[in-house]
Amino acid sequence: MFDAEKFIEKTVDQLQEKIKGKALIAFSGGVDSTVCAALVNNAIGDRLIAVHVDTGYMRKNESIDVKKMMEELGLNYRFIDASKEFYASLKNVEDPEEKRKIIGEKFIRLFEKTAKEEGIEYLVQGTIAPDWIESGDELRDTIKSHHNVGGLPEDIAVKLVEPLRDLYKDEVRKVARVLKLPVSERQPFPGPGLAIRIIGEATPKRTEVIREACYIVEKEIENAVKQGIIEKPWQYFAVLIPVKTVGVQGDKRVYGYTIAIRAVQSVDAMTCKYSHIPHEVLDNISIKIANALGNEINRIVYDVTNKPPGTVEWE
Amino acid sequence: MVRIYVIDNGGQWTHREWRTLRDIDVDTKIFPNTTPFEELDNENIDGLVLSGGAPSVALESKLGNCTEYLEKAYFPILGICAGHQFMAQFFGGEAAPSKVPELGKIELTLLKDDMLFEGVPKKSIVWESHNDEVSVLPKTFEVLGESESCKIQAMRHKEKPFYGLQFHPEVEHTEYGEQIFKNFVNMCKT
Repeated sequence: MFDAEKFIEKTVDQLQEKIKGKALIAFSGGVDSTVCAALVNNAIGDRLIAVHVDTGYMRKNESIDVKKMMEELGLNYRFIDASKEFYASLKNVEDPEEKRKIIGEKFIRLFEKTAKEEGIEYLVQGTIAPDWIESGDELRDTIKSHHNVGGLPEDIAVKLVEPLRDLYKDEVRKVARVLKLPVSERQPFPGPGLAIRIIGEATPKRTEVIREACYIVEKEIENAVKQGIIEKPWQYFAVLIPVKTVGVQGDKRVYGYTIAIRAVQSVDAMTCKYSHIPHEVLDNISIKIANALGNEINRIVYDVTNKPPGTVEWE
Repeated sequence: MVRIYVIDNGGQWTHREWRTLRDIDVDTKIFPNTTPFEELDNENIDGLVLSGGAPSVALESKLGNCTEYLEKAYFPILGICAGHQFMAQFFGGEAAPSKVPELGKIELTLLKDDMLFEGVPKKSIVWESHNDEVSVLPKTFEVLGESESCKIQAMRHKEKPFYGLQFHPEVEHTEYGEQIFKNFVNMCKT
């Protein structure tokens, strides 16, 4: 069985051995990168610099919360607001793989810049097993390019350190619990963020719509969990589908986009079942989304696909 | 500690096989399918798992050094998905594109008692992800399990401890997956 305490001990030793100078960690504030940061921080202390990038595709208030957390964890951190740059680089881009690769490259170039300015040699990433498995290699088919693996350009100017490569999310959570990190139960959020929850071009306007929809889904599901109506899903969010359908609002014909609600149960993200969310909860979500986003959205659907054949995220 | 290695044919769940073995306290490592048999044999392994593979990889005539493993092994081998299809072809059977590919949740029906399925009920839920399947059973094998759309879900060699499974016992959502692995491990111990 996976032993989190032994893993921590062994990894901290290895990191001390491996990282001779300064290291930079790509810090999203999720459970993987936070666990990674804590481990490397234990190993090399202040020689670790955490960098959080606000890509503009983060969830509501997320980057502000992450900043707060970096302070609370006592990390030596830098905060980069690159939302304008990210929006510009995804202009007219529709293909999901292209989106992921552009975002992966953008991240790495920003990290390289910081590394160069501050004389940093190592880049620490919270890559876990499904990231490299699904990104593909000489043997394996590419399911999707995870931004931190398949999205990495070939020519990078820093040495990669990925202490969680052999772990799955449930194991990372075990490590997080032993380290008493506040993010241990946080739901996964992909590195490319809301950009891959918008099918087609991820424009700033569509991003605002999906940001609000994801916020509503998260809030309503978390409420239902608190009230004991449902078990907490592995992941729960909204997807914007730029397919227009006809609706009627205030006696007027409208022609707007569609939102899909997605919630799945899983242990390791390698197989998933869609969550059996009761209709009362779906109804609440549907009404709240329609009221908040009525101008843009007039149809809301629930995704009942398992993995396989689907993946968790739509892109 | 019993030592069982996983041969990586490029499947999405190769690493999951490694994890399941590790979780039940098996000494395990992943090796690429280009590893020569001698190298594995020098490690004194007690068994081998042949993983699934990239799309339709088993329908090509070669799957790395899997031929060599099946020729020379004197310990148990468990072939999964592409590993299972390749095993069937190696022993004179055939594999072909499935009429109905199975993706996700499927009901497995066991047809025969066998050590590999000890503690597994006659009907159980397994998860699948395949576009190809074994279409002709090798003469030296017998069928142990089927599903509605795929008649050879599980098979074994009549004399050697070689097994093939079309479904994936290593994934979380296969109900008795860990039990199947435990049974395989027990066979490797003896």
